[in-house]
Amino acid sequence: MRIAGVSSRTDTGQLVKERHSTAWWVGNISKMTVVYTILIITALVFLYPYFWMVGNAFKTNEGFYTDPYRLIPEQFSLDAMRAALGIGRVHIYLKNSTIFAVVGVAGQLLVDALAAFAFARLSFRGRDVLFVLVLATLMLPYSVVLIPSYLIVYWFGLANTYVGVMLPGFAGAFGIFLLRQFFLNIPSELEDAARIDGATTFRIFWQIIVPLAKPALLTLGLFIFIFQWSSYVWPLIVLKDWDKYPLTVGIALFRSTTWTYWPNILAATTLGTLPLIALFLLVQRYIIGGITLSGLKG
Amino acid sequence: MQLAGASPSGNRPRWVRDLQRDALGYSFAGPAVILLVIFSIVAIVVSLWISFHEWTFLRDERPWVGLENYAKALDDPVFGKAFRNTARYAAIVVPAITGLGLLLALIGNEARQGRAVFRTIFFIPTLTPLVVLSFLWIWLFEPTGSFNIVLEKLGLPTPNWLMDPVMAPFAIIIMSVWAHVGYYMVIFMAGLADIPQIYYDASEVDGANIFQRFWHITLPLLRNTLIFVVVILAIGAFQVFDQVYLMTRGGPDNSTEVMQALIYKQGFEFFHMGYASAMAWYLFAAIAFFTAIQMRIFRSQQLY
Repeated sequence: MRIAGVSSRTDTGQLVKERHSTAWWVGNISKMTVVYTILIITALVFLYPYFWMVGNAFKTNEGFYTDPYRLIPEQFSLDAMRAALGIGRVHIYLKNSTIFAVVGVAGQLLVDALAAFAFARLSFRGRDVLFVLVLATLMLPYSVVLIPSYLIVYWFGLANTYVGVMLPGFAGAFGIFLLRQFFLNIPSELEDAARIDGATTFRIFWQIIVPLAKPALLTLGLFIFIFQWSSYVWPLIVLKDWDKYPLTVGIALFRSTTWTYWPNILAATTLGTLPLIALFLLVQRYIIGGITLSGLKG
Repeated sequence: MQLAGASPSGNRPRWVRDLQRDALGYSFAGPAVILLVIFSIVAIVVSLWISFHEWTFLRDERPWVGLENYAKALDDPVFGKAFRNTARYAAIVVPAITGLGLLLALIGNEARQGRAVFRTIFFIPTLTPLVVLSFLWIWLFEPTGSFNIVLEKLGLPTPNWLMDPVMAPFAIIIMSVWAHVGYYMVIFMAGLADIPQIYYDASEVDGANIFQRFWHITLPLLRNTLIFVVVILAIGAFQVFDQVYLMTRGGPDNSTEVMQALIYKQGFEFFHMGYASAMAWYLFAAIAFFTAIQMRIFRSQQLY
């Protein structure tokens, strides 16, 4: 991992490699103590709400109200989990969230990659104008397009449907930009060789470009997944029936309905949070690498 | 059968070949371009159009009202309050996240062991929907909640964060900084990793201290990352919605009302879509204005 390989900057040992003085060692150790103290305290600040959430998800309702700040339940209970999945309908919300995220990722990756391939590798009239048009859409704030997007979805007869929720997300200007940059760096010899062998353009795209772009596609896919899984206001607007709600909209309903049953709410949020964290831990080296790769640094 | 290497369309007229080439390009780029045109270009035209009408979902009659919606927003005290609240939120959250994110990245970079572990932990809030984080922070901000327990131990005052009109905006700000700082720390760490070590070694020979090194090497060479972070953060801050809508609903006494929440309420709770669209255009103008200013400041500053 590249970041881990970088040596410490203020490390005077970089210059005077041999024989450190006692003063150097004392200075270095006290510096590391400060660094790790700050990092550990900060890490606890980030982790504490999660410990609290998971701990309380396994309490009984009385156990919760007796001492809501106790992290390890006095009496371990699966009641809240059962209630969240039963009356809380969290299993339905989880299913919907998974559909929105998985189909959203697959759809956007395909549509973005096809367009990025056209802009990077094909020549046709109006190509550059269209690409500038795509980039221009990046500058529009979400708030301006929110109301008209809903009206368009409504006019298409797609309000309160899965397709209505997913359709606008099937194309992303940022994804097209990112993948185009990646495709431009793939040497054209491979493509030329395949073309001489009589491969169609689509086959070149599917069998040469897409496999070579796997790291970029994976990174982009993860970002889309996180975005779709966390998306709240758009599905809230488009959907009317609770059985189509994703987890975010479903959980927000608890704010008004089962308000007093906090362990149930926390069981629901636990179920909604852990899949994404688990997914991230599985593939995190791609996503961290991807921040460098995506040229986010300008 | 064609000979290998011969173009399959070699003996067709040039204009046919051009058309085929164009058709191929359009069929690849088409789905994305059509979707983006509908949900961006057509959408802004629709937004502009309905902002000139008294447009509601409840009636078929949608009379043209010219600039009335825009004028109405300026006379609306809640709109003014939401605008000021949003500006204050952005003015605090953007520098706070930029500064803390950079500080955490610098400290994290000093750690020899376990850097990846800390980075992962700081990234976890980014992976959690803001809806979930809002629920957790509602409890953390309870009058006797964990946040106040810590404050009490430090001998600080313990307000009723979400119910106090003075403190509620700061509760939202604290929660938002906590939720977003980890992502920007990871971006800053990637930026720091790109600065060649040799500059630091050279400055060491020249006897530069830690602050001089930060000011003359780290900051100038991190400039592109900084521009990216500040611009993206500001655009996001002006559109803050989820945590406000879920934690305070804009209350108490409109003290946390923000633009995006007001647009949502007017558009989808009261169905005044024309009025809501006019407010969205004010927000768009504000975002464009501040982005332009930021770009100008960054461009004019000769950092190296």
